[in-house]
Amino acid sequence: MSVAKPLPHDAAPLHVTGQARYVDDIPTPANTLHLAFGTSAHARASITALDLAAVRAAPGVIAVLTADDLPAANDVSPSAHDEPLLAEGEVYYIGQPIFLVVATSHLAARKAARLATVTYAEKPALLTIDDAMAANSRFEDGPREYTRGDLAAGWAQAATTVEGSIELGGQEHFYLEGQAALALPQEGGDMVVHSSTQHPTEIQHKVAEALGVPMNAVRVEIRRMGGGFGGKESQGNALACACAVVARLTGRPAKMRYDRDDDMMITGKRHDFRIDYRAGVDAQGKLVAVEFDQLCRCGWAQDLSLPVADRAMLHADNAYFIPAVRITSHRLKTHTQSATAYRGFGGPQGMVGIERVMDHLAAELGCDPLVLRQKNFYASGGRYLEQENEQVAPSTAGVEEDLTSRGAVATGEPDKVVAVPVGAQTTPYGQAVVDSVAHELVAALCEKADYAGRRAAVERWNAENAVLKRGLALTPVKFGISFTLTHLNQAGALVHVYQDGSIHMNHGGTEMGQGLFQKVAQVAASRFGVPLERVKITATDTGKVPNTSATAASSGSDLNGMAVAAACDEIKARIAAFLAEVHQADPAEVRFEGDAVLVGADVIPWEKAVAEAYVGRVSLSATGFYKTPSISWDRIKGEGRPFFYFAYGAALTEVVVDTLTGENRMLRVDILHDAGTSLNPALDIGQVEGGFIQGAGWLTTEELVWDNTGRLTTHAPSTYKIPACSDRPPVFNVALWPNANREPTIYRSKAVGEPPFMLGISALMALSDACAACGPHYPALEAPATAEHVLEAIGRARAGESG
Amino acid sequence: MYDFDFEKPSTIDEAVAALSSEGAQALGGGQTLIPTLKQRLNMPEKLVSLTGIAEMKGVSSDGGTMKIGGGTTHGTVAKEAKGSFAGLAKLASLIGDPAVRNRGTIGGSLANNDPAACYPSACMATGATIRTNSREIAADDFFDGLFTTALEEGEIIVGVDFPVPEASDYQKFEQPASRFPLVGVFVAKHGDRVGVAVTGAGEDGVFRWTEAEEALAGNFSADAVSGLSHSADGLISDLHGTAEYRAHLIGVLTKRAVAAAS
Amino acid sequence: MATVTMTVNGKSRTGEAEGRTLLVSFLREELNLTGTHVGCDTSQCGACVVHVNGEAVKACTMFAQEADGAEVSTIEGQANADGSLNTIQQAFQDHHGLQCGFCTPGMVMSAAALLKDNPKPSEQEIRNYLQGNICRCTGYHNIVKAIMAASGQDVSAVAAE
Repeated sequence: MSVAKPLPHDAAPLHVTGQARYVDDIPTPANTLHLAFGTSAHARASITALDLAAVRAAPGVIAVLTADDLPAANDVSPSAHDEPLLAEGEVYYIGQPIFLVVATSHLAARKAARLATVTYAEKPALLTIDDAMAANSRFEDGPREYTRGDLAAGWAQAATTVEGSIELGGQEHFYLEGQAALALPQEGGDMVVHSSTQHPTEIQHKVAEALGVPMNAVRVEIRRMGGGFGGKESQGNALACACAVVARLTGRPAKMRYDRDDDMMITGKRHDFRIDYRAGVDAQGKLVAVEFDQLCRCGWAQDLSLPVADRAMLHADNAYFIPAVRITSHRLKTHTQSATAYRGFGGPQGMVGIERVMDHLAAELGCDPLVLRQKNFYASGGRYLEQENEQVAPSTAGVEEDLTSRGAVATGEPDKVVAVPVGAQTTPYGQAVVDSVAHELVAALCEKADYAGRRAAVERWNAENAVLKRGLALTPVKFGISFTLTHLNQAGALVHVYQDGSIHMNHGGTEMGQGLFQKVAQVAASRFGVPLERVKITATDTGKVPNTSATAASSGSDLNGMAVAAACDEIKARIAAFLAEVHQADPAEVRFEGDAVLVGADVIPWEKAVAEAYVGRVSLSATGFYKTPSISWDRIKGEGRPFFYFAYGAALTEVVVDTLTGENRMLRVDILHDAGTSLNPALDIGQVEGGFIQGAGWLTTEELVWDNTGRLTTHAPSTYKIPACSDRPPVFNVALWPNANREPTIYRSKAVGEPPFMLGISALMALSDACAACGPHYPALEAPATAEHVLEAIGRARAGESG
Repeated sequence: MYDFDFEKPSTIDEAVAALSSEGAQALGGGQTLIPTLKQRLNMPEKLVSLTGIAEMKGVSSDGGTMKIGGGTTHGTVAKEAKGSFAGLAKLASLIGDPAVRNRGTIGGSLANNDPAACYPSACMATGATIRTNSREIAADDFFDGLFTTALEEGEIIVGVDFPVPEASDYQKFEQPASRFPLVGVFVAKHGDRVGVAVTGAGEDGVFRWTEAEEALAGNFSADAVSGLSHSADGLISDLHGTAEYRAHLIGVLTKRAVAAAS
Repeated sequence: MATVTMTVNGKSRTGEAEGRTLLVSFLREELNLTGTHVGCDTSQCGACVVHVNGEAVKACTMFAQEADGAEVSTIEGQANADGSLNTIQQAFQDHHGLQCGFCTPGMVMSAAALLKDNPKPSEQEIRNYLQGNICRCTGYHNIVKAIMAASGQDVSAVAAE
């Protein structure tokens, strides 16, 4: 079996020798054109005049396009058709593309793009959460609200209450490879596009619209991305469409990559939030009532903001049972970059809200926050009654919608699932939590990392040291796995077995470093019982597997692993039937293992078995398909079972804070994370380590700053602080929690892309703990907890102007 | 980036001649200039690289003076100054990252006079002398506000002479993304004279904190400055920190530098 | 435009470069050595680290003409003569010191420069040395492990109590 082995990343030998190709490394024909956008200098304005003469006259410029020059649709939105590729007279943020320069080199295009004379009539811009609230500027007609339980009764039981607010900054993806696309025109108006994208089908769809052709005229290919993190789910649309349009108009290949500066100015980031909260516990420390107002800054276009904000609501409970709860979500429209998908997809923001509540309540109660957390974990155990899905034919209304995007509106009725929980607590949206391991996992981590001893040591240290204060926090993660837009939980695969026994494997998932391709190849090798070397991993290609969902929502291995397994099993069944007949055996007893096919007493080497099957005229190619069972979700009502299961984890972080400067660093991190029965423990641990550091970075050093005109002032790594090697904790212990998935996922594994990101919340809470050691008041630390914010929080702890 | 001619002379005289033409600019290690050119804030017609001039490289000691060639990289300064001038070695070793220190030069840093550059603070605190192809300039007269120095058009920094202090230290509070100092404080003790210079914080660039210098002159100890605080007036407020925060850091870092000076 | 000649990975290579042509553009576009990556364009991220005359430099912050006559090594020249991975490359593979791989060439080149100066660096020295190389995926843990392993040191104790 190849699964469950810690094999290295499949492309490691290519990466360490510089041979791995990213989009910008693909050799291009000599006549390739290079593109750059000219962008808006104002956050909100009408363009009253656009003089492009100097741009056209610049050296190397072949053409300059405006919205009027586009052959078909002028839209790159993954949802509401509200995002023109090129502005149509109005601009809505600083950085919005207005015109497209086509030149003979990347540098010539960028240089020329600066030569335009754009005359603007400025309009008032809404930049902040408060601006948008005051103007009632929002997506959807009003706030969404999920409620459960009797809040009035809850408040009546509350013995201790807290009320407060926390600001949560956004986050730049900073995928090391910037956005890039290359379009190669084909005969008959067809187009081949190489795009650095997590969502090739979305690129195919938007390019087809931009060219005014059906999707079958466009083929999109992506071998790998240099990081995605959600930033390449919809943000690559503009580059791919621009390249395709130019390739169509000129008949020449067209390539576009954003310089880092442009990438940071133009593309969307993580949504920043303010979360106002009020929470109460009874005399035993059990949560009785919690109310959240989540104010979410979405930027100028809808993009994926609705499902992001939904997921923030769906994670407002994290691992805690809240009997009476109200979660209200405001999706605010501002004149800034359109915030987009980012690892966790709103979940992290929702989760910080409740972790802040636990931290604040513990401070009010004067108890260890961990004790309060443990008291409120969802109970372990419980189950669903066995149910059959009731299939309901989906409506075909709304086919003009971008159906494969998370920004799509659910059309028709989803599968009706009658999910009856037995003996389980339910989330605020009514899903039974039947798989919680929060109690067990946290207890194990406490034991392993000596929580009690270290808590005492931190207290001793803080009693003895005036300048350097230490802090400790253990926070859990419970993250829901599945796309909340239920129909996206499907995947396809294509597997060929060639006559020499080599295997060609393809599926709809994309590789961005997470090791998806290796994991899925391990599945294929395990199915056929052959060594991994027999399986060729190939680029994601819309011509091979159609109608794919984005590689997002941590779903890559769950969905594509199952689809590949289905395709392999189909081929195996054909081979088994054929060989059983030839060898007069029972097909059910044919086994595939040890690089051979076992038929009765005969051991047929794999290559021989395949050759025999070929000669026997057996089809050795199959597609596979998978759809996640048992889920359904009504996002308007806030009811159902949106998630197939939950992934769990916990992190214990220790920090030290310099109370004179606010400087701080992590000293030690211990993590236990639930990856189910891991398909590849080495790759999964890598996801946990990297996710933690990225999550901690979001909440500590990564600060996005817009000035009062709406200009992003942190648009380079010299002003925006990505965690560096020296920032990682000197002691960093990560282990997987052995916990076979209760649900029938691929080899009982669990998704691991996003959940570990939220382990980083422990860093923020540890800093809060250290600040709290400086004085009697609650420090109300904001995120990101930069040195200056930490110093302010220390001031609040001492003086008590708590916010 | 706009195109320009490129020259790489091998002597100071050739470099001076090359720089005499209209629109020519000297290029040290390029670690600041090249990013600036990329942002198109600066458009020379000709760049004259100073990295090929052997006579401008290296570190030597002459009595109590450390003489550093203008084309010496930060990496070399960090290595060469280590034994005798700990504060300067530390300062050089904290600039940028190893690859940047392999290219960036002391002369380039001083000529650029970025308000957040590290070297100007060492020059001011020690009372260094900047040697150019035509004259010698005292540090106090050299730095002239943001990105401005006493250098004339076409004038090249060929070296810097540092009086080696008895004790010195550099404390840098890094702006975490760029690793430039949000505030950097260099303290140097030469007998009774103590220099305290602050970089990263001043609206007009590097400056000496004379109040601290006076307090330390008679009593070189952290206690001597513990009662002092710097005013926020005239300090930078930007996205990385307020003027008040910088003022606070000046006090904290000065104390730490005195305590650590060796 | 000027003709620039440099020894790249042991072979003399000649190409055309304008005054403004960066070394990284020369390597990628003129010599088709695309293993050296451009991550940030501002000398922060380190994806473009190469060696010039034996020293690590950021190829996005050096002009090609500055490297005229120099010895340049890139990631494409790091493998052993028989094509097998060198010790550092092998260690990055074995210890999972990469995910998306975009930063890997720069990391390997920085690691090589470090180990040349300091054959047995401590963990702290490795961390400090890699300050100018950003990795957004791994959290660095396995990169540090890989470099410890490549220097022949025990990695079992890396960052564990």
